[in-house]
Amino acid sequence: MRLSWMIGGAQGLGVDTSANVFGAAVARAGYYIFGSREYFSNIKGRHSYFNVLLSDSPQHSVNSTVNILATFDAETIFQHYDEVTDFLIYDKGVEAMTIDKVRSLEPEIAVKAAAILEKAGLGISIADVVKFLEKKGVKCIGIDYGPLMKDIINQLKMDPFVAEKARNMLCAGASFGLLGLNQKYLLDAIKSTFKNAKIAELDTLAAQAGFKSVQNSYNLKELPIKGHRVQLDGNTISAIGKLYGGLSFQSYYPITPASDESTYIEANQVLKTSDGKTRGVVVLQTEDELAAINAANGAALTGARAATATSGPGFSLMNEGISWAGMNEVPVLVTYYMRGSPATGLPTRSGQSDLLLAVNVGHGEFTRIVIASGDHAEVFSDAVMALNLAELCQTPAIHIIEKTLANAYAVMDEETITSGKFKIERGKLISPGDPENYKRFELTEDGISPRAPLGHAHMYYTGDEHNEYGHITEESENRIAMYEKRIKKGQLVFKVLQENQMANSVGSSDTVILTWGSPKGAILDAMEELKAKGISVQMVQVRLFSPYPSELMAKLLSGKKRIIAMENNYTAQGARLLTENTGIKPTHYVLKWNGRPMTKDEVVSSISDVVKNDTKKVVLNEGK
Amino acid sequence: MKVNEQLEFNDWCPGCGDFGILRSVESALSELKLDYTDAVLVSGIGCSGKLPHFVSGPIAGVHTLHGRALAFAVGIKLSNPKLNVVVDAGDGDTFGIGVGHFVSAGRRNVNMTIIVHNNGVYGLTKGQASPTLKRGEKTKSLPEPNINDPINPIALAISSGYTFVARTFAYNIPLSKEIIKQAIQHKGMAFVDMLQPCPTYNDINTNEWYKERVYEAKVDYEVKDQSEVIEKMNQAIKLAYPSDEKIPLGIFYKNSLTPSYGERISANISNYEDYYPSMQEIEESSAPITSIDSMVQARRVV
Repeated sequence: MRLSWMIGGAQGLGVDTSANVFGAAVARAGYYIFGSREYFSNIKGRHSYFNVLLSDSPQHSVNSTVNILATFDAETIFQHYDEVTDFLIYDKGVEAMTIDKVRSLEPEIAVKAAAILEKAGLGISIADVVKFLEKKGVKCIGIDYGPLMKDIINQLKMDPFVAEKARNMLCAGASFGLLGLNQKYLLDAIKSTFKNAKIAELDTLAAQAGFKSVQNSYNLKELPIKGHRVQLDGNTISAIGKLYGGLSFQSYYPITPASDESTYIEANQVLKTSDGKTRGVVVLQTEDELAAINAANGAALTGARAATATSGPGFSLMNEGISWAGMNEVPVLVTYYMRGSPATGLPTRSGQSDLLLAVNVGHGEFTRIVIASGDHAEVFSDAVMALNLAELCQTPAIHIIEKTLANAYAVMDEETITSGKFKIERGKLISPGDPENYKRFELTEDGISPRAPLGHAHMYYTGDEHNEYGHITEESENRIAMYEKRIKKGQLVFKVLQENQMANSVGSSDTVILTWGSPKGAILDAMEELKAKGISVQMVQVRLFSPYPSELMAKLLSGKKRIIAMENNYTAQGARLLTENTGIKPTHYVLKWNGRPMTKDEVVSSISDVVKNDTKKVVLNEGK
Repeated sequence: MKVNEQLEFNDWCPGCGDFGILRSVESALSELKLDYTDAVLVSGIGCSGKLPHFVSGPIAGVHTLHGRALAFAVGIKLSNPKLNVVVDAGDGDTFGIGVGHFVSAGRRNVNMTIIVHNNGVYGLTKGQASPTLKRGEKTKSLPEPNINDPINPIALAISSGYTFVARTFAYNIPLSKEIIKQAIQHKGMAFVDMLQPCPTYNDINTNEWYKERVYEAKVDYEVKDQSEVIEKMNQAIKLAYPSDEKIPLGIFYKNSLTPSYGERISANISNYEDYYPSMQEIEESSAPITSIDSMVQARRVV
């Protein structure tokens, strides 16, 4: 089962909080959750929404439609009414509001929303939307938010300005009531979310009032739970993965949607270790991304596991520093939160348009490790893996996490990250026996030299071409040897990674959906529905993009009837890398570049279209 | 024949101020008994950037990127606070492409030293005007006189929060060595404005030109009480804008009362100085040893 719930409202009015509480409450009743957050580059006032998918099994995507649209303002209704299938929860106090009065509504959306209503012979007020929806069979539940909130405010004698913000929880309470689950789950979730007793009481009363306003409609049953489950967003799970993987230095410059990772690390910078010690992680907020990458480079030279986190604009600035790291064989990790490009682009929306930038970042030819995670569990394991690969190969590593994953949360089994199956591999990190005659760039068979931290040996680093000691030389034969060293070291990656860490293959079919990153979730969630329609597909999700696993990809894709490249960009960059490295070309394309995540329904409809009609290219556009 | 790891020569122009700076740095390191075990020389790009490669004796050198030496240095120092980090960078490097890092390093008061090789030109790219060249001056390879106003490095350092600010002249090796030693020993961010002739491209500010103007200023530069900070900063800035043609050398400002960045980190991480990032154990027989239990449990929903 998949039930889609969406809550929307003005940024700053608790949309996130209510979605987190609602999700936690549903999770307490035994359901798995995938929650996706969409918001403007704005702090207060613009429309933001949270789409929560609940299910009896782990989910990784959202739907194109919503079963329950939970609202406490007019704008959310105008934005999303055409997506609702079952219930609209709305404020009776805004019934008279018309589309033209909502100034924060983007004009393009206002025109579209009005056109649908006018075509149905209706006006453009919320009351008209309600009529429109009722006709479609959607039940509209009008709640008198104003009087209900007034009662609570009087009861608690609170400042109305503060208390009015609990409308979000009233809305969440009403939503929860529709599900038919025991109210205690919601109240428990509120209690553990709000530490301030007065606020907890306020939100409890609001949730109860909402709960009472509706009737059980879905009749959901509590599900048995084995072990613990955690609710984690992509930023947080990346941070935890890096810390677990031994990170001890993180530099960053503020940028959406990357900064939350760094601030989380700083908030948790004192860590206990199993040898009875505590270790502190230095988090440095730098003056710019040039400083962020190069401070991380410096930290890595001392032997610390060092990283930075950024997004497109910052990553562009890091080019030169990453090039230096390649030249000097520095194990540094860049966690790359990919958002809508180019330039400032869509700073709070998602995209996969910078993959080719990541694999080519920095001037010059050298090994860059580039890996891309497809879901929250992979974000964790890839963070550890990226730190390992950087150090094993002594070269910069880039870990791509799209905004779609960064700001989405998943409820997952705790053992996914605490199973103890993860390893830390530090490669040829040494303290040399003869530190005065140490050669930092000693030529070796595999291209990787024993690496001593600064302070442990007489040594030199330089961005100029250098000899084994790290001194500048422009001599031709040395140049040839060092150049080759920096490239051939990448081969080690193929020896240490398992096949599914390079490319993840699910199912078996002569129709392959070739993808990477977040579309993985929508594809996996769609496979069953496709099968029921008689369409069997195999998903091949590339996780390692540099060095490229050409042999494995050729093995996985040779002889396939259809290879459908499915990506969140215009030119299918992941597929271009496949062609460049193997000569294999996709037969079909399903592409989406509107900044919104791929939905399960889009996968079903587009793949059906490709398979049934041999449509060569499908362009997707769901999501507000 | 074996190619030694020590370079036996260097490739600066004859008469370059860098020779004097190299000698001062070497002597300071040697008198402070610093080598690769406890010191790192970090440099930028340009003629000055090559300095670590030319130092005799076993040191560690990190020749970085144009403008970014300080950024690297901060990362090195914060990860291993036991290392004495000395940055050598040019005036274009520090006050042009890297000026943001210069200001930010002052704000943090990181316990390290930057020596800026200040010769008014971009030497290694054939003599363009640097941010310290005066407006109206036309050095040898400029097509027209410089139309930018110069930065005053001392005033910029003071206003950025540097807690040790000094100026010396490349060919006054005894003074330069002494100032570098004090800068290294200072607990905080130290800046040494190293005036230097460029015999190839700066035909105005020559060795002789400097020798006619430089003198050792004797001022009471040290902040002994918090109440003196503004007064001593003003004094240093005034000295940096002399009313005559003379160029004062020496220590302009010193404040040991401002907490260093390491001390600020220690306020959040109590064992930072004893168990800093570069020495931390993170695995045992490849198994991670960092506990994430509290973070994971905080996100438990059931």
